[in-house]
Amino acid sequence: MFKLALKNTLFYKGRSIATAILTFVSTMLFILFISLQDGSHNSMLENSLKIYTGAIEIYRKDYRDVGGNEYLIEDAKAITDKLAKIDAIEAFSTRYETYGLFSSKEYSAASMVAGIEPNKEKVLSSLGSALKEGRFLDENIGNCIYMGAELVKKLKLGIDDEVAFVGGASDDSFAADIFKLCGVFKTGLFEFDSSASFVSRSYLDELMHAKNKASYITIKLKNINDAEKVNSEIIKILGDKELESLTWKTLMKSMVEAMEIDAIFGYISLSLFLVVIFFVIMIYGFINISSRIKEFGVLRSIGLSKKNIFLLLFYEIFILSTISVILATPIAAYICYYYHINPVVIEGIADMYKDYGVVSDEIPFNFDIFTIFWNVTIVYMLNFLSILYPYLYINSFKPIEATRHV
Amino acid sequence: MIKLQGVNKYFFKGEPREVHALRDINLTIEEGEFTLFSGASGCGKTTLLNVIGALDSCESGKIFLDEKEISSLDEDARTTLRLNELGFVFQAYNLVPVLSVEENIGFIMRLRGFSDEEIRRRVLEVATLLKIEDKLKSLPNTLSGGQQQRVAVARAVAAKPKIILADEPTANLDSNNSQILMNMMRELNEKEGVSILFASHDELIMRSVRRVITLNDGAVIDDYKQ
Repeated sequence: MFKLALKNTLFYKGRSIATAILTFVSTMLFILFISLQDGSHNSMLENSLKIYTGAIEIYRKDYRDVGGNEYLIEDAKAITDKLAKIDAIEAFSTRYETYGLFSSKEYSAASMVAGIEPNKEKVLSSLGSALKEGRFLDENIGNCIYMGAELVKKLKLGIDDEVAFVGGASDDSFAADIFKLCGVFKTGLFEFDSSASFVSRSYLDELMHAKNKASYITIKLKNINDAEKVNSEIIKILGDKELESLTWKTLMKSMVEAMEIDAIFGYISLSLFLVVIFFVIMIYGFINISSRIKEFGVLRSIGLSKKNIFLLLFYEIFILSTISVILATPIAAYICYYYHINPVVIEGIADMYKDYGVVSDEIPFNFDIFTIFWNVTIVYMLNFLSILYPYLYINSFKPIEATRHV
Repeated sequence: MIKLQGVNKYFFKGEPREVHALRDINLTIEEGEFTLFSGASGCGKTTLLNVIGALDSCESGKIFLDEKEISSLDEDARTTLRLNELGFVFQAYNLVPVLSVEENIGFIMRLRGFSDEEIRRRVLEVATLLKIEDKLKSLPNTLSGGQQQRVAVARAVAAKPKIILADEPTANLDSNNSQILMNMMRELNEKEGVSILFASHDELIMRSVRRVITLNDGAVIDDYKQ
């Protein structure tokens, strides 16, 4: 039956070429589209995770919803000692965040100020590498402040300028100081660059009476894909119902939702395209089979079962699909790999999608063999489905009717 | 042996244009017969052949093939019956265009699971008998009508069916090729012992067969041996 199917695909050239080309095009586009979509989502995610948000963060319950000093972690060291025992964690750091008013000579602006551990942040986030001007924080230099470029612009500050700060300390008293602008960072995330500033944790602890306290503890994992598993382990180890450990999926809920919505619209567009391809392949198959009704009638008359006829059609589409997939997959995979290494540059895209964590005009493709494999599987499935209606159509004829079909 | 008991067949039953295609057919055809269903166009000879060949069903009556009732079989069982017990020769040859002569002749044997060696040996044997052994590698569309019909006969006979049903096998052939084909089919009937039933109004076939069953308006009106 396979040999007959092979000969049929060579004999009915028009249908074979049309089906092979359509399958080739749909395989290529499917792989490239999914690769681009996954690549852009991964890029958004990686950028956001790199910049500031951790793969996992530990909070005291209600800190994120209510906020305030009463929801600070009171004994950060007790938690970090436990975290140090988890192998899957690459690095962690405590952060203390508060809000206050900054004033330069002429301008004032409200901003978040966070106490960070500069050396640990170099491993945890890309804050240090986002340096635009000046220098990054140093544990030993106290009243240095590291500010977002948009905030600096708002306050009209220059490197080494002084800026006054007034805010609330962790014991609800007033805290005030004059910081010197040591460095300016630019992540590309407008909101972040216009409302965030950082001071060395040891210095800020003194100012805010926040020693061993933390707004939260941020964690970087060796493998981001282990987030859920490690999070469960952390929850188990902490064993404190007053604490909550959250993965990036919860921490960046709006981004995850935006990516999911984007993916849904992407899949809808792709599905419409694939449906069109599916129907074109099916119609070509149907036209071909309609012209072969008599042939199928003869085959049925001399003893081919319905199962044999199905196998014949199945082998025909299998041969055509396999040829197309064998040609299309390496080409598409190579393109994905090439643009994974050398990302596509779409000018202005970072500006357009800056709210969603797109910080660069470069969109890398995702190169993942498993994803390519399931893309190819779907193309195969669609092609196999395309023979169902023609098969049912053939079987609607009695063998003797089919042999008389003109 | 084929036995028909009170077989009736209608087309468009219950409609104003209803046709009573077969009327109370009672027949017995013994093993190894070389028989013709004859009659004018529309008399029911092809319908009778199709009903015997499990290609069509009948509304009433029973058909037995070697004591086994075949008229009540479902579609799958009919297909199996056609594959294992029957051979067909059609007016328009109906060869598989993409397969060579050799592959066409061995096609049914392959479906029935014969070994490659058995198929090769039998194909050569039958092709030699039908004088097409030099055409085994050719495609059907490169052969003459007479040669194509011989390939169709070879395909029908190769898997050694009990009965071969031939519907107007000479209709597309000239008299010379028709004579050659009938001589060969008679030889097959005698050498292989296979029963061959024809549906035709060709005088040549009528002269060649040993039994003629004449139909008129769906009923058997004459049945004689010669």
